[in-house]
Amino acid sequence: MPLARSLIGLGATVALALGSSAASAQSAAERAVEAAKQYAGTTLNVTWEAGLQAQDPLLFSGPKWEELTGIKINVVEIPIQELFTKTLAEHRAGTGAFDLLNVVPAWIPDLAEAGALEPLDAFIDQHGYRDELQDIAPVYRDNQMAYQDTVYGLPDDGDVLILYYRKDLFADENHRAAFSDRFGYDLAPPETWQQFLEISQYFTESEELGPDFFGSAQIRVPGLIHFFFEERFRTNGGRFFDQETMRAQINSDAGVQALAGMIEEHQFMPPGVEAWGPIETLSAWLSGNLAMMGWWPPPGRWSDGFFDADVLSFVPTSEVAGKVGYALPPGGAPQLAAGFSLAVSSDSANKEAAYLFAQWLNSKEISIERVQLPYALRDPFRTSHFQNEDYQNAWGNANEYLDTLQKGAETGLLDLSIRSTAAYEEALTRAITAAFGGEDPQAALDQAAAEWDRLTDRIGVDVQKRAYSDWAAKPNAYPN
Amino acid sequence: MKATTSIADTSFGYRVSVFADRRFKYLLVWPAVLILLLVAIFPLINLLIVSFQDISIIGENKTFQGGLNYGRLFEDARLWQSIWHTLAFTAVALPAELILGLLLALLFVDRMPGRGIFVALLIIPTVISPIVAGAMWRLMLDTQFGPVNQILGWIVGGPVDITWTVDRAFVWPAIFITEVWQWTPFMFLLLLAALSNVDKSQIEAAQIDGASGLRIFFKIVLPAIKPVLAIVLLIRGLDLFRLFDIVWALTKGGPGTTTETISLYAFVLGFQQFETSYTAAIAFVVIVLLSIIVILALRRVELAR
Repeated sequence: MPLARSLIGLGATVALALGSSAASAQSAAERAVEAAKQYAGTTLNVTWEAGLQAQDPLLFSGPKWEELTGIKINVVEIPIQELFTKTLAEHRAGTGAFDLLNVVPAWIPDLAEAGALEPLDAFIDQHGYRDELQDIAPVYRDNQMAYQDTVYGLPDDGDVLILYYRKDLFADENHRAAFSDRFGYDLAPPETWQQFLEISQYFTESEELGPDFFGSAQIRVPGLIHFFFEERFRTNGGRFFDQETMRAQINSDAGVQALAGMIEEHQFMPPGVEAWGPIETLSAWLSGNLAMMGWWPPPGRWSDGFFDADVLSFVPTSEVAGKVGYALPPGGAPQLAAGFSLAVSSDSANKEAAYLFAQWLNSKEISIERVQLPYALRDPFRTSHFQNEDYQNAWGNANEYLDTLQKGAETGLLDLSIRSTAAYEEALTRAITAAFGGEDPQAALDQAAAEWDRLTDRIGVDVQKRAYSDWAAKPNAYPN
Repeated sequence: MKATTSIADTSFGYRVSVFADRRFKYLLVWPAVLILLLVAIFPLINLLIVSFQDISIIGENKTFQGGLNYGRLFEDARLWQSIWHTLAFTAVALPAELILGLLLALLFVDRMPGRGIFVALLIIPTVISPIVAGAMWRLMLDTQFGPVNQILGWIVGGPVDITWTVDRAFVWPAIFITEVWQWTPFMFLLLLAALSNVDKSQIEAAQIDGASGLRIFFKIVLPAIKPVLAIVLLIRGLDLFRLFDIVWALTKGGPGTTTETISLYAFVLGFQQFETSYTAAIAFVVIVLLSIIVILALRRVELAR
């Protein structure tokens, strides 16, 4: 009997080991599909930023997931400016309208505190996804996933503001000589904002390039402009708060210098740039009317014709294919500027199914396809994405593009993420637009700092100090 | 026994009939009253309750907080600034729309060739959604590509680079142009209808007696269209007090808070910053203020009777 028992035990162990080995041989994507099949016939309501972002689940991942699992994906498109509002409002109303959420990582503290997000640790362990998370670039993995040691979102978008420049113009001998004569240094991608200004000035004033050509353009609209200020403020040495008193520091010299510099640059940007959003900037760039542009990663692909002509029919055909160089913006520490994490709604009636869809989307196997979709806006966020051979050969200098994105993912600056972040950003945005409208930058930032202090007092200095200290302790909160 | 029963039945039936006659009107009215209670009074009561709580993005404290939020109203400079913007804009836009609408109506009140087509064309702006009108004018006023700057450039003989939606000197004129463009036709249409109903015989009699055009207008036409005028002013005045869409599409209240109206401020506070209870207090005060204005205005024009 003991022998028989031992044999049975041995057999069971071998079977378990074989089974386990078979299971671990499956990829995270395959495990998600297998586990999700039990939910076939259900429909998941998924929030997604309206527009190009949503083309991914509408045209690619949604139909593919339904084919694999029988789970239908209903994409709820919401403009980015309303995504936070809608997410929180539906949670407050307890509607359970959404299952899977696209959330900007900076919102996670507010949404988690409000109880709108489902903790994901148990799901991650249950479905064996923790190892694959290690492939996500550290800046996203370590900073955009958890709040107070609980995972609430899977980082799913490598947003980072990089600098695009016309390498044909920067390499042109005539321009190089003329620029060097005038400013006393070589024409190259700017490393400081002063250089950025001077290069902008040079190209704007270049008679050879004509009156419709400008040195640079950047997005200036409310809702996005604070990203550009925050990056510049921090690379100038600015700190958002005094960590002891929690009094706002955005009106410090670093802040005033950043804002005054942005305004000074407008003279070398296209007329009316103060009101330009992403599309105006992108259109001017693709039309070949700019020497430099600050934007998220997608124009790197679109500039070289790596896009779906039908879905992107609203932007001009690229006139700059083969002429684009990529660099980190002046200061070398780009703002990560939004990004998206996939989170499960705590009000969902299909939490596990929603999580499994998120795991599948986010997995190595599927995400590499998604970040290469010629129409969507998801950007590389895994180490394996940056090193993917197909992607590196997608166009002439795609490898340089991916290298720049990877560098950005190393030195990138996190968006401010504390309690009521949106209210702080809104006050800051008002100060920036007021200064664009003619108000003195110092006065505008003083006003915003006073509002920040009132907000902090209302939230509670200690509560906010804790949130800010947690955030500021992250390696990418400020430039190293 | 049968007779007694019959009398009793008749008496009961009679009483039911009388009751039904007297109360039937109430039976007919109660569904409407119920709907009104549900869609108007209940939210108002809920608004009032929420305004005495402390619900915000920080947390939901649903206990009675006294005058916490109403106290904040007095310290909120941005609120009073937004109310001032709203009132000042109403004071400028309302007379402008009225005068332009009236002039157009006087122009088109007499029969003329193509009148129907012109009237139809004139009222097109009113049927467009305000947010679409705002977006359209944003393009029209675009610094580089908008036709407005180009036309101004032809007039002055050089490039015009006005940033209509950013420059503090031009943001209110941009909103004014859009608002007047969209809503003057509304004034025009109602005033045209009113003018068409003015008794022509009175005007002819005055003309025969040698009255001047101005005298006829002020003594005959204006009194005749006064009730319509009052209603039009009230409707547009209330609309202007709720001004949101056009400003949102053009400037989003900026630069800074230069063009922030009370509706815009309430939206930002309530739906972007989730200051739910404080926004409820603002909304309640605005409702009370508007109700007082409406009641006074109706009494003034003797329409409440």
